Amino acid sequence: MEFPSLMLEIRNLHARLGDGREILKGIDLAVTAGEVHAIMGPNGSGKSTLAAVLAGREGYEVTAGEVTYLGRDLLALAADERAREGLFLAFQYPVEIPGVNNMYFLRAALNAQRRHRGEPELDAGQFLRAVRAKLKELEIGEDLLQRAVNVGFSGGEKKRNEIFQMAMLEPRLAILDETDSGLDIDALRVVATGVNRQRRSDRAIILITHYQRLLNYVEPDRVHVLLAGRIVESGDKSLALELERGGYAAFGSVG
Amino acid sequence: MSAVVDFPVKPETRPYLEAVAGSPGEPEWLMQHRRRALARFAELGFPSRHGEAWRYLDLRPLEQAPLRPLAATEVEAARAGGDPASAWPAAGLRLTLLDGRFAPELSRLGEMPATVWFGSMRDAIVRRPDLVGEALEALAADRDQPFAALNAGVFGDGFTLAVPEGVVVEPPIEILHLASGRSTASFHTRSLVTLGAASRVRLVEIYTGEGRYWRNDVVAVRLARGAAIDRVALVEEADAALHLAVFDATLGPDARLSSTALLLAGGTLRHDAVVRCQGEGARCGLYGAYLAAGRQQANFVTTLDHCAPRGETREVFKGVAADRAHGAFQGRITVRPNAQKVDAHMLSRNLLLGAHAAVDTKPELEIFADDVKCSHGATVGDLDATALFYLLSRGIRRADARRMLIDAFLREPVDRVEPASLRDHLLARLSARLAVLEET
Repeated sequence: MEFPSLMLEIRNLHARLGDGREILKGIDLAVTAGEVHAIMGPNGSGKSTLAAVLAGREGYEVTAGEVTYLGRDLLALAADERAREGLFLAFQYPVEIPGVNNMYFLRAALNAQRRHRGEPELDAGQFLRAVRAKLKELEIGEDLLQRAVNVGFSGGEKKRNEIFQMAMLEPRLAILDETDSGLDIDALRVVATGVNRQRRSDRAIILITHYQRLLNYVEPDRVHVLLAGRIVESGDKSLALELERGGYAAFGSVG
Repeated sequence: MSAVVDFPVKPETRPYLEAVAGSPGEPEWLMQHRRRALARFAELGFPSRHGEAWRYLDLRPLEQAPLRPLAATEVEAARAGGDPASAWPAAGLRLTLLDGRFAPELSRLGEMPATVWFGSMRDAIVRRPDLVGEALEALAADRDQPFAALNAGVFGDGFTLAVPEGVVVEPPIEILHLASGRSTASFHTRSLVTLGAASRVRLVEIYTGEGRYWRNDVVAVRLARGAAIDRVALVEEADAALHLAVFDATLGPDARLSSTALLLAGGTLRHDAVVRCQGEGARCGLYGAYLAAGRQQANFVTTLDHCAPRGETREVFKGVAADRAHGAFQGRITVRPNAQKVDAHMLSRNLLLGAHAAVDTKPELEIFADDVKCSHGATVGDLDATALFYLLSRGIRRADARRMLIDAFLREPVDRVEPASLRDHLLARLSARLAVLEET
C-alpha cells in the first residue's frame, strides 16, 4: 500500500489559549514517514500546547497556519476522528478515570479504530491474547489492567500504560508528550523499548521532551529546539547533545 | 365510606376520600386507623411547593387530574406473559403485587424456614395481626406526610416478612411491584419487614409497569438488636407514571441497614428514606442513583435520626439530569445530644448534561452532640472534560465516550451490591437506559 511520504506538515501554526495568550507563534515542521523527531524546549515554550493542538484538545484557538496529516486538513477533524485516522498522543499527565475499566476502555478504542479502517473487531479472546503479548514486552502486570483507567497507578505506571496503549493501537503518528519525565532509569528503558518497537517505515514518532536522556535510547532522526512558541533551530541528534552542554539560552531568548 | 365528614378537608383531597378504604371484613381497629389517617390526609392536603420538604417536585399534574385508588374488585387477574425486563432473572423467591394486590399466580413464595412469615399484607392482617398491628398504627410519616397518611387510609395490600431471632434467610427475596396498564388509577401498598435479633435478610424490590398510574407505597422495616437487611430497589416505571415511596426504618442496637435505590425511569419519582438509629452502634448505609432525562423528575430525600451513641451512617447518592429533567437530593442527618461518637458522612454528586436540565442538592447536618465525626459533600457539574478528551483521543466516538463516563459515574452506588448476579442485573438495566439516552 502506498503511503504519502510526508506524514505531517505544519505551516506557520499560531495558537492561543482561551484567555487570549498566544503560545505558538509560527511553527513550521515537516515529518516524513519512518522518522523519529524530537522537539526539545524549556518550560513554557509551547511543547504541551503543540501536542494539545495536534490532538484536538478544546480550549485552544488556532489563529493562523495549517496542519496537513496524510494529505488531509488535520485541524478540520474532531479529536476522535484524528485518533481513528492513526494519530496518538501519549499524555504528560494521564488522567485517572474511576469506574471505567482499563481493559474495557482499550478494547472499545481498538475496535472503534478497526471499525473505522474496515477491519474486523477483536473478540474478547483475541483481544486478551494481543494484550498479554504486549504486557510482557512492557513489563506491565496484568493486574494493572483489571483496574480503572490509571486509578491508583504510580507516575511510572501511568507512563507505561500510555506506551502500552500505543503498542496496542499501533498509530501512524505517535506524539509522546514528555513521556520520559519522572521516570527512573528502569522505567525509562522499558518505555524506550516500547517506542523503538513502534518504529516502522510507514509510521512516524514525535518525542516532545525537556531532557536529552530519552534520546540516548530512542535515537532521533531530527531534533528541533522550541523556544517561546517557535522552532528556532533544527538539526540531527548531535543538536540534542549540544543542548545538554550549553542549555537553551544558547539558542535565544527563553521567554 | 361515608362522604359526610366532620374534619377540615382540603379540596384536592376529596377524590381520594370518596374511595373505598380497605376490604369488607377488616377488623374494627384497622378501620378506625384508616379513618384517622384519611382525616389527617384531608387536613394536610397536597404538599405545598413553598415548603422545603416538597419544593423540588412538581405535582400539579396530579392535583389537576386525580388518580383515584383502584378498588379491590377492579384488579383483574394477571394475564400470562413473560417477566418484565426489570425483573431479576436469578430470583428464587418472588412475591408479586399486581396493581397493588398480591397476585399468587405470579408469585413463588417457595420454601422458607417454617418460623419465617412471608406473605401478603391482607393475609397477615387476617392470620397474623400480632405482626402487623404496629406498622398499621401511625408511623411518624403518617402524621407529617400527606401521601403516607393517604396510604395508611386506602392501602389495598402489600408484603409482609417476619424473621425470628437468629434466622438468616439466604436467598434474596424479590418483590415485584407491577402496574398492568389496564387502569389509570393509583395503587397504595403498605408493607412491613420485621427482623428479630441477629437475623438477616436480603430484599430486592422491582417497580415497573405500563400506562398512566400513581404508585404511593410505604415500606416499614424494624430491626432488632444485631439484625441486618440488605435492600435493593430498582425503579423503572412507565413514562406517564408517578412513583412516591416512603421507606421507614428503625434500627435497634448493632443493627445494620443497607439500602440501594436506582431511579431509572418514570415521569415523577420520589424516594423518601426515614431512618431512626435508635440503638447504640446502629449502622446505616443509604445509596442511590437517578438517571433523569426528557422531562422526568427524580428526588431522593433522606432523613437520618441518630438517637444513640456510636451510630454510623454512610450516604452516597449520584444523579444525572439530561434534556429538561430535574433531579434533586435532600439529605438531613440529625445527631441528638446523647449520640456521642456518631460517624456520619453524606455525599451527593450530580451531573448536569445540557443547558435545560436542573439539579438541586441540599445536604443538612443538625448536630447536637459534641464528640462526633460528621461531614457532607455536594457537587453539581458536567462530565470531566479531561477524562472525556482522554477517551476521544483514543478514537472512541463522542456519544460512546460520554455514555462510558456517565455509566462509570452512576455505577458507584451499585458496585457494592451482592450477590454478583444481582449487581450485574442492575448494571445491565443501567446500561440499557443509558443506551437510549439521547442527549440534546
